[in-house]
Amino acid sequence: MRNELRQTRSKGVHPGGQFISRSRHRREFLKRLAALGTLLSVPRPLVSSTLLGEGAGQLGELTGRFIYVGTPPERKKLKVDKDVDCCGKYDIRDESLMVGPDGGLANVYVYLRSRGVPIPPGLAEKFPKRVTLDNRDCIFKPHCLAIWYTVQEFYIVNSDPIAQNVAFTPLGDLPANIILAPAPGERTDATWRFHRSQTEPVHIVCNYHPWESAYILPRDNPYFAISESDGTFHIPYLPPGEWEFQLWQERVRQFELPGYPRGRFTVTIKPGLNDLGTIRVSPGSLGVT
Amino acid sequence: MRSARDVVSLFNMIFSGSEASLTRASPGRASAGRKSVACAVLLVLSLSLAGCSKPRPVEFRLNTEGRDPASISPAQREAIVSMLTDLFGTPDEPRVPPGVHLDVELLRRAAGPTGRDFSGVERGLYRKHCAVCHGISGDGAGPIAAMLNPYPRDFRYGIFKYTSTVLGAKPTRQDLERTIRRGIPGTGMPSFAPLPDEDIQALIEYVKYLSIRGETELYLLRLVVDENELLPLNKESVIDEAVLPVAEAWEMPEKDPEHWVVKPQRPHLDEAQLKAAIERGRLIYQEPRSQCVKCHGPEGRGDGEQTDLYDDWNKPKKGVTDEQTRELSRWFSLPLQQLKPRNFQEGIFHGGGRPEDIYLRIYVGIKGTPMPAMGPAPGQPGILTPEEIWDLTFYVLSLARKTDPKK
Repeated sequence: MRNELRQTRSKGVHPGGQFISRSRHRREFLKRLAALGTLLSVPRPLVSSTLLGEGAGQLGELTGRFIYVGTPPERKKLKVDKDVDCCGKYDIRDESLMVGPDGGLANVYVYLRSRGVPIPPGLAEKFPKRVTLDNRDCIFKPHCLAIWYTVQEFYIVNSDPIAQNVAFTPLGDLPANIILAPAPGERTDATWRFHRSQTEPVHIVCNYHPWESAYILPRDNPYFAISESDGTFHIPYLPPGEWEFQLWQERVRQFELPGYPRGRFTVTIKPGLNDLGTIRVSPGSLGVT
Repeated sequence: MRSARDVVSLFNMIFSGSEASLTRASPGRASAGRKSVACAVLLVLSLSLAGCSKPRPVEFRLNTEGRDPASISPAQREAIVSMLTDLFGTPDEPRVPPGVHLDVELLRRAAGPTGRDFSGVERGLYRKHCAVCHGISGDGAGPIAAMLNPYPRDFRYGIFKYTSTVLGAKPTRQDLERTIRRGIPGTGMPSFAPLPDEDIQALIEYVKYLSIRGETELYLLRLVVDENELLPLNKESVIDEAVLPVAEAWEMPEKDPEHWVVKPQRPHLDEAQLKAAIERGRLIYQEPRSQCVKCHGPEGRGDGEQTDLYDDWNKPKKGVTDEQTRELSRWFSLPLQQLKPRNFQEGIFHGGGRPEDIYLRIYVGIKGTPMPAMGPAPGQPGILTPEEIWDLTFYVLSLARKTDPKK
C-alpha cells in the first residue's frame, strides 16, 4: 500500500499550477514497463510511439454494458419555481435513473480504483483539452462528467438567457461557487482547476435553481468511463495487469451488484478488448421499490 | 458556621486518631452533630475519591457527522484516532506533522488547560475563549452551540466564510485575524480585540491547526471507512496524500497573493460622485445578471424569492421531504439550520460593515454559503468588474443607512 499511495501523489499537480515530480512519475512508469518485460532499453520517444502508435495493441480496453432489468419508473417532473418565464417551458425531470429505450442504463461511473497504474506517455494528446459543463434549457448538460484533471481543463458555460450558478465542494479541495451571466453576451463562462483526485463523483448544484444537478469525478488518471444512453462503456489505453475498478451510480453511490461487492471488481487486463459483457442491474440494486 | 465547625472537628477526629474531639461536642447537640458528621464523612470521602480518580482526559471527538457511528468498526476507529494522535497530538499536547508550517510554540500557548505557566504566560487560550462555542475539536458544537444562530464555525471542513481570497482558497492570516479581532456582528462571535497580539496570533495558529487536522480526519474517514482501505495505515502516505495538500492549500494565498488575494482599493469620491455611484449600484443590484434580488429582495430586506437556503455545513442534513430531513439529521450534532440572506436595511454585516468588507463579500463571495463570487479571478471573467462592485458596495451601504419604515 505504501508504494501505491505514494505514487498517486507523485502524479499530482502543485496547487500553484505546475506539475510536480513528473520525472518521478516517468521513473515509476519505466520501472513498471521493466516489470512487464518490455521495451526497457528503448529510448523514450520510441516508447510512446510504440505504445500509442503501431503497438497500441499492447494496451487493453475494458468494455461492458449495463442493462436495467424490468420497466424503469417514470422520471418524476421536478418542481420548477424559479425563473419560471424562462425555465417553465421545459419539461424538466429527474435524471437520477436514466434508462434507454433498449434497457441500457446510462450514467454509471466505472473507474480505476488501483493506484499507481502507469499512464503511457503521449496519452494526454488523445484526450480533449477540456471537459465542458453547459447550463442549457435550465439544466446541467451533461448530467455526469469525469475529468483527468492534471491534463484537462474544466470549462463551465451558460447558454441560457438567465444567470446561472455552479457550486460544488470537493473533499479536501477548494470549494467553487461560480456565477455566470445570461447568454448571449460576455462573462458567460469560467474555468475551474481541481487540485486533488476524488474517490467518488462530486455533486454540482445551482443555488438559484434547486432542481439542477450534475456530477463530476476529478481523477489524476484517464482510466474512467460513464455509461452511455445505450448502457455501454469503454475505458481504452489500459496497461495490461490486474487492476481493481469501482462502479458508482448517483442513487446508491458505491453500486453494489451480484459479483461486484461494494461496486468493486478486479480484472486482469490483457492487450486488446476485455469485455465484461452484459451487466444486468435489478431495480432493487438501485433502490427502486 | 456550625457545619464548618463540625468539619473541623471531624478533621481533628480523623487526623488525631482518637474520639476525643467527638466527645468534646456538647451533649445537647450530639444528635445533630452526628448527622453533620455523617454528611461531612460523605463529603470528605467524595472529595478524596474525586482526588484519587484520574481526571477525564480531554480528547478530540471523532468526526462522525452525517454517518451512523456504529458503521465505523472498532479497528477502523482505532486506526483513524491513533493516526491523528500520532500526527497532531492531543488537545493538551499538540504536535505538528512534518512538512506543515505551524508554530508549535504558539500552538502550545493556545492548547491545554487554562492557566498561567511559571513565567506568567497565559496558556489554554482556546479553551478559555473559544471551546465553549467551537468545541475542543473545533467542531463548532461546543456546549452552547445549539443555542446560537448561526451556529459557530466547524473548522474541520477547512471552509471559512469571510475571506479576501478568490477561487475558494483558504483565508489569509489577516482574514482570520480580522474575524477574531472584530468578531462577527449579529452573531455569537464577539470581538477579541482586547487580547494581547500574541494571544490572537496563538489562536489563529490553533484554528489553522484544528482545520488541517479536521481535513486530514475527513480524508482518513473517506479512506478507512468509505473506501475500506487495508489497515494498518502508512503514516508517510497519509502525510503525503492528506496532510501536505491541505497544508499547501493554506500556504497558497501567502505564497502567491497576486493570484489569490483581493486587495480592495477604495475610490475616493466626493458627494456628487458617491451619489452617482450609489445610483449605478442600484441599477446593478436590480439587473438579472447580478441576481442580488433573488435572495436579498428588491429593497435589500433579505426577503427575495429564494428562501430554501442552507450553508455547506447544513446542506447534508436536508432531504427532499421532512421525513428524509429527520432521518438525515439524526447523524449530526446540531439540528438543521436555515440560512437567512442579509437584510441590508438592518445595517448589520457579519463580515464587517466597512466599505472594504462589503466589497470583499461581493467580490469573493461568502464561502460555504450560496453567496457566490462576483469578481474576476484567474480563469474566470466574473460577473462584475471591480468598479461595478464598488458601486454595488456603496448602494448596499446606502440601504443600511435608511430607516426601515416597517420597524
